[in-house]
This record gives sequence, C-alpha cells and structure tokens, in this order.
Amino acid sequence: MSSAPAVVTEGLALSYGSPSPVLEDVELALPAGSSLCVLGPNGGGKTTLFRALTGELTPLRGSVRVDGRPAYLAQTERTRLDFPVSALDVALMGSLANGRWWLPARRSDRAAARGALARVGLEDRADVRFGELSGGQRQRVLLARALVQDARVLLLDEPLAGVDPASGERIEALFRELRDEGRTLLVSTHDVDSARAFDRVLCLNHTQVAFGNPSMALTRAALEQTYGDEIVVLDDDGSGGPVRAVTVQHHHH
Amino acid sequence: MSLLASLPSPGDLVELPFMRTALIELTLLGVAGGLLGAWIVLRRLAFFAHAVGTATFPGLVVADATGFSATVAALAVALGYAGGVERAGRAGRDPGDVATALALVVALALGVVLASDVFESGAAVDRLLFGTALGLNDGDLWIAAGAAALALVATVSLGRAWAATGFDPPGASTVGLPVRVADLLLLGLIAVAAVAALPAVGALLVASLFVVPAATARQVARTIPGLLAISVAVAVAQGAVGLYVSLWLDVSPGPAVAVVGSSLYAVVALGRAVRVGTTSVPAPVVEAT
Repeated sequence: MSSAPAVVTEGLALSYGSPSPVLEDVELALPAGSSLCVLGPNGGGKTTLFRALTGELTPLRGSVRVDGRPAYLAQTERTRLDFPVSALDVALMGSLANGRWWLPARRSDRAAARGALARVGLEDRADVRFGELSGGQRQRVLLARALVQDARVLLLDEPLAGVDPASGERIEALFRELRDEGRTLLVSTHDVDSARAFDRVLCLNHTQVAFGNPSMALTRAALEQTYGDEIVVLDDDGSGGPVRAVTVQHHHH
Repeated sequence: MSLLASLPSPGDLVELPFMRTALIELTLLGVAGGLLGAWIVLRRLAFFAHAVGTATFPGLVVADATGFSATVAALAVALGYAGGVERAGRAGRDPGDVATALALVVALALGVVLASDVFESGAAVDRLLFGTALGLNDGDLWIAAGAAALALVATVSLGRAWAATGFDPPGASTVGLPVRVADLLLLGLIAVAAVAALPAVGALLVASLFVVPAATARQVARTIPGLLAISVAVAVAQGAVGLYVSLWLDVSPGPAVAVVGSSLYAVVALGRAVRVGTTSVPAPVVEAT
C-alpha cells in the first residue's frame, strides 16, 4: 500500500450557488489503497461531497485534490433502467475515458469490457439488458465500467442498498481486491454496522462530525451528533471503542 | 367509383416528377428523422423536438410575407430556442413541460396574429403549419440531404457519448465526456433537422418524422443499433406509404405521413399489449452470485 494520498480535502466548504454552505469544514486525507465509509443522514452532505470530488461542484472555500479522474457509481435506480443497453454496453462505456470518445469502440476496448465483466463474475450475463439484471448484478456492472475506466479512486453511492446478502458479500470481496490493487474506495452508506469494516470513517451532518479509523469515529457521541434522533445505539461497552448502532428513518408528514 | 378502383399504381411515386421529388425528400428526411428520433426518444426530448418545430412558425410567417429566406428565419428561431433550453438546463433549471407548453402557445398565437392581422397571409398558414411535400424544389432536397448526412455523421461520432450521458449523466461526466458540448450539439442538430423538415411537413408535424418512427421502433428494439436501424426503416417506409396514400385519397402528404406513422405505432403497441396479455408473467430476475 502506497502512502501517497489519493484524496485530500482542506477546509472544504460546499454550496449550491448560495453563499451559505450546505457542507463545511471537511478535512480529510486518504492514502491510495484505502477505504473510507461516509456516514450521514439524508441531506447531510454525502452526495454533495462526492459531487465536489468528481469536480462537478466547485468549492465555496477550501480545496479538493483527487488522484486522476474518479469513477462515480450512482445508485443503480438513478440510472435509466429502460435503456436498451446490455451489461457489456455499460462496461464498454468505461472506455470512453480513453479520450477518443468520438470514435467507435475498438476491439481492444471490447476485450477490456469483457474482461472486466469476468472479474465481477458476470461474463455469462454480458448480453443481458442492464435493466433486467438484479440490483447486485447492476452494481457489479457499474464496478466493471469503473475497472474499464481504470479509475484510481471510486466513489460509490450506497452500493449495497437493496442488494441481497450473497451479492453483497461478492461486492465486498471485490472491494477488498480493488484496495489491494491500490485503488481508493469512498462508499456512502446508511448501514452504520458495515462501517466497522472500513479503514476510515467520515461522519457528515452539514459539517464534518468525525473522521478517523472506525474506533475513533464510531463513538456514541459522534453518531448521535451525526444522526440526531435517527440513531439507536445497540451495544456500547463503555470502552470508548466502536459502538454498534442502527439508524431509523423518521418520516415527517 | 369505389376507393379501391381508384388505387393509383405504385409506379406513379417514381414516374410523376412531383411525386418523385417528394419521395426523395421524405426518404432523406426519414434517414435524418429516424436517426435523430432514436436519440430524441432515448434522451426524452420528444416534447422539445415538437416545440422546436412549432417555435419556428412566427418566423416562417414573417419570412413568407417579406420574401426573406424561410430557412434562415426558421433556423434562427429554432437555434435560438435550442440555445435557450440548453442554457436553462445548464443552470440546473429544467425548462420543464409547463415552460415548453407556454412557448408552444405563444409561438402559435404569435404566428396566427402575424398571419391574419399583420401580413394577411391567409392561405399560406396551412402550408406553413402542415407543409407541402408536393411543391418542393431542389434547394429543399439539398437541405434534406445535408440534414441526413449530418445526422449520420453525428450518430457515428457522438452516439456513444449521447448513450452514456442518457444512461447515467453523473457517471458519464466522470468518465471525462464533454457532456455539455455533446448535449448542445444534439439540441442544435434537432433544431437544424426540424428546419430541414419544415417544407415537407410544416411547423406542426415535425414530430411525425422525428418522434413517431423512433417511438414505434423503441417498442421492439433491444439494442441501440437495432433502435437506430428500425427507426430509419419505419421513417422511410411511412414516408413512402404516406405519399402513396396522399396520391390515392388526394389528401395533403404531410398529414398523410403523420397518420400512417401514428397508425403503425398504434398497431405495434396493440400487438405488444396482446402478446404480454397472452404470455405468462415475465421471467423473474435471477440473482446469480
């Protein structure tokens, strides 16, 4: 694992055009090959941070630096499931990153896309329409696209939401492989429990509540400040280490 | 004399000079409309394509009455409209259906007022709104050929970018695609092609060439190349059949093409509904791990 930081933000504040930030004081540094879990309530700034890391959102204050062009994997429900594209077509979209997007795909691009599908275990589903795949399979196709793109930094928006446990395990194994290759993973999630498996955890609620390894960041105080009354702490042994907790969604009418 | 007895020979379509010109025009526009139409339905720009045609109507009325070039006037209005939509989209404000509908009403009302009270164009209104594929000149053919060539070149060179952007906009921009440029080119190209179609189908029936054939193809195509091919085939076929019907029943070609295209859409939709109704539930998604 290289120690050169793959993602660095300093005093980062973000807004959507207004002078008052929706997210501020984000200060983090991630070495290449590490993983970060981004926790926070809906509207807490997770997606906003990702939009700054992709370069779509210009910082209001502070700075962002990312190694190369990151791959962004939206929740697959945000993609067009009715689109007439196969798993292979989607993986092949990663080859548009090679800077010759106005030319037809080359044979080598197709080979790379097939190879990436094989790596995520979907070579036999290459010709199936993206919208007809299961949630977990779709997520793996988007991972294949990121592999074809050869992104060093991957931003994943709730990749395990609505994914069955078997597919989830497969995706988590892929995450480990990608980290071993020196790629850096930033994963937003609602699943506080899964955060313990990451190298680092970032808690966001309009500001940076906590950043550090899981035992530092997953404290009762940090989680309560992050989620307010949406958090239920299940198991706190009082050692100051990571606690077990779940979030509950309150629906305001 | 019964209708069937008055059926003209299909050969008339190529032997009668005005029919031949109309057939060439509708075939060229079929290529342009079929290709761009595929992107229009994939990118959900059908209402835009309809609006950009209608928006040209007041410009056409002014050009017709003053002797100014109708093509230049329509192009100015159409590109201006496309530019406005792109700017609004870039600022994060989707112009939305309400704004589009409002623009349509204003364009039609303005055109009618100009035609009836300012220029007293009278009879020209029909032609400007619904086209006249039987009164075309070589210039119209060249413009249609240009639109078909542009649509083909753009589909080959920009198709991958348009597909990736329509499928997953944030994902496409992080791949490094110039999403904004590609989108602007798509809107601009639709505007140019709509103007090329005005002499044949008029301001109100642009969608019959640029939306209907692709919408029909969208129901059956399973891949993007398949969608493009079926869409062009349907657009060219509806042009020829529509022209034949107009010769047979002595109706205006523009509306005839529109009716033929819409009927085909309805037949395909009905066929699909019947098939879905008779087959059992769709195969469930298999979770392979």
